[in-house]
Amino acid sequence: MNATLIQLAASAALVALMIAVAGWARIARPFAPLDEAAARTLLAGEFPGRIVDKVWIAGDGAGAVARSGEDALVIYRLGDSWVARSMPWRLAMVAPVRRGRVLLKLRDPAAPMARLAVSGVSPWPPETPAEALAA
Amino acid sequence: MTLDPITPAFSPVDWAVPVFVVTIVLEILLARFRKVRAVYEVRDTATSLGMGLGSQIAGLLTAGVVLAATLWVYEHRLFTLPMTAWWAWVAVFFLEDLTYYWFHRLSHERRFWWAAHVNHHTSQHYNLSTALRQTWTGGIAGTWLLWLPMIFLGFPPAMVAIQKGISLVYQYWIHTEAIKKMPRWFEAVFNTPSHHRVHHARNPRYLDANYAGILIIWDRMFGSYIPETDEEPCRYGVVHNLGDFNIFRVAFHEWMAIGKDLAGSRSPREVVGYLFGPPGWSPDGSRDTSATLKAKWRAREAAMPTPAPERIAAE
Repeated sequence: MNATLIQLAASAALVALMIAVAGWARIARPFAPLDEAAARTLLAGEFPGRIVDKVWIAGDGAGAVARSGEDALVIYRLGDSWVARSMPWRLAMVAPVRRGRVLLKLRDPAAPMARLAVSGVSPWPPETPAEALAA
Repeated sequence: MTLDPITPAFSPVDWAVPVFVVTIVLEILLARFRKVRAVYEVRDTATSLGMGLGSQIAGLLTAGVVLAATLWVYEHRLFTLPMTAWWAWVAVFFLEDLTYYWFHRLSHERRFWWAAHVNHHTSQHYNLSTALRQTWTGGIAGTWLLWLPMIFLGFPPAMVAIQKGISLVYQYWIHTEAIKKMPRWFEAVFNTPSHHRVHHARNPRYLDANYAGILIIWDRMFGSYIPETDEEPCRYGVVHNLGDFNIFRVAFHEWMAIGKDLAGSRSPREVVGYLFGPPGWSPDGSRDTSATLKAKWRAREAAMPTPAPERIAAE
């Protein structure tokens, strides 16, 4: 039992060392804030074949929401990578904004929530109720 | 020479731990100084290594049951195969690797076992640390049962354990982008970084392929081999990538999703489908499985306009 505990403790120390080296090296993928063209490229890769109408970009460029028919296509940054999900557009439009972020419930245990930055130039929701009705 | 048929004389994985540490640090340093291709994101690395550490602890929880079942089967074995015979080691090498192939294929193609294996595929990176992103729930999923027929045949448990360890250590070094291709003869016979990059890719073209442990020949024999192509670089991860780096989400998210689906099931058919159907199965077909994703990809490829050679030649 003692040997097992010593082995686990030693493994934990080595894990900490490797994480520290990875942090020091700074060799993650470079990140540039999204603009509409970059968001559309990402969306085309994540949702191939889907027609994207309008695209809303998060205030910090770390996410986007696009309308595709009755669906909202959501992408957001995780580390140096991206996460993508879809949800009903009507639910996305009524998602609450708290502390400067819109909280989009994705209803998936693997990615329960997207929290995207809202700003003056990127208000939420991106369309007014009248526009939503017209659509 | 005699070897204990029950207790392995050594653990290949324990012996390899210093190699794991040195090579991960080396891969990071070489990438830092632009000598090889490797991408490490610190939280992703922490998640992979944390999963590796956690799998050691999780393994201890089910070790007793696995050992008891193994010993019981060995007591009722058909033959007694000697650990000192060279041919027995050759046989265990091929049989264990074949068993691994089917274990791995099952772990991808049926959701119950995918739930235990998916965590290994949740990194959007492909580097040596990804190799250590190991399961916490493999013991509970019961995939270790697949190795019991070998014990029943008469292979000593220690022999099978050593070969399983060798296979695991072999599969470590192939988790890298630093090596593009091995020599052709090697690529033809063995699992390589190139073959395994395809296995970790989420591009529809590459889904459900290259299940090999050590020998890629099984994929070639059973029709699951797909080569890596330069035109389509591998994009790593799972079809629906995880939303954060929470280690417990990595370990349990698919089990939670199964639970959610079972809670909403309306018939025994749906229960069976959600548990043992392919990942992505749904009663109304509204979700995507690997097969439907591949079919959609093929349809898109077929719909792509291609120049007609005859017409171009005529013009």
